[in-house]
Amino acid sequence: MNDFLDQLETCVPALRRYARALTRNADLADDLVQDCLERAISRRGLFRPTGPVRAWLFTILLNLHRNALRASRRRGETVDIDTVPELSTPAPQPGHIALAELARAIETLPPEQKEALLLVTLEGIPYAEAAGIIGIPLGTLMSRLGRARAALRALTGSPAEPHLRTVK
Amino acid sequence: MSEITRDQLMAYADGQLPGDERAAVEAFLAANPDAAADVALLQRQSDAIRTLFEPVGAEAVPARLRPARLAAEMARRRSRNWGWAAAAIVLVGLGLGAGWFARPLLDARPASQVLIANAVNAHAVYVAENRHAVEVGSDDSEHLSSWLSNRLDTTLGMPDLAAEGFTLVGGRLLPGEPDAGGRAAQLMYENATSDRVTIYVTAALPDGAPAYEFASHDGAEAFYWANARITCTVVGTLPEEQMKAVAGSVYRQLTEGDVGAGRPYRG
Repeated sequence: MNDFLDQLETCVPALRRYARALTRNADLADDLVQDCLERAISRRGLFRPTGPVRAWLFTILLNLHRNALRASRRRGETVDIDTVPELSTPAPQPGHIALAELARAIETLPPEQKEALLLVTLEGIPYAEAAGIIGIPLGTLMSRLGRARAALRALTGSPAEPHLRTVK
Repeated sequence: MSEITRDQLMAYADGQLPGDERAAVEAFLAANPDAAADVALLQRQSDAIRTLFEPVGAEAVPARLRPARLAAEMARRRSRNWGWAAAAIVLVGLGLGAGWFARPLLDARPASQVLIANAVNAHAVYVAENRHAVEVGSDDSEHLSSWLSNRLDTTLGMPDLAAEGFTLVGGRLLPGEPDAGGRAAQLMYENATSDRVTIYVTAALPDGAPAYEFASHDGAEAFYWANARITCTVVGTLPEEQMKAVAGSVYRQLTEGDVGAGRPYRG
């Protein structure tokens, strides 16, 4: 029991980080993490204690986030004024990615690309584990990641950068 | 040189390529500056994403997100909820019990409705019979009267409807409502054109209250009344005026003894 709670505790910083990146709102993100932890605690009987608790927690968090997204789409979305990124100046030098511009570009990604991209890049979660968390086959994960990154590249405007080709 | 796929390049950029493949990709990138630039861009994207959001992971975790505290709070809430659940169960039980015992009070169909329905039903069943329309014929009207009076536990005279053109065919005993003695007597009358009228009599209802009702039921007219001694329903399919005359006559004759010192019942 306490061992289980300790395992949860070590995952909390990563969950908060991922939730913040998904929602771009500190309060919403922490609410999401709290819901996720409560759900995990109330269902710990269903969880086999030998497996990796991290993937399980991320799965719960992601499901809660998707539910919230669906609900907010029905209600009409509200955007915290502080989270609206300012208009940024173009990248000062080729190859440098303006952070504000990138943040805005990530916001425009379809949710399923965003959740995959953040799991892999921000959390450094292995592809197979990320596919399991999202609940998709590995190939689908790879193509989502590819599309997300191509979109980001187009949106953050690095025309001088060569585009990724298939190099078979 | 073996084929290098986009996925492999991405995996390389993400640091997720197994060691043996990594060497092949590195060799490929050394020979393909465009691909190397692509990979570098992927890595810069990832770096930038981490730069944006990684600091959140280093922030102090708010107290409300500490699993131990959450678990304790949930346990407290659960025990409180059990209290509420127990209270709810007790209340539901009380409600069910009260509802069960209040059934008779809530029974929507008043006794008169039941009696009228039974009378109309018995009428419909037996007026259609010819040889077995009655159990005891009018030729034995003394016996009929005393038998039915015994069974109903009340004096039952045979009303005389000659003035209305009806003669007694006979009568029978029927099962009835438990509230009204569990038995009913049916008397049948017939006129020259073979129109039949039945009179359905039971012992009084428990309240014994006087009541009066005229109802139309499945094409038959039913005239019902109750007093402290009996309930009586006259059923027929005659025109309304004729029906009222018959019912009025039955009423007068069956209640005669009840109102003061009139004559006893005929029969």
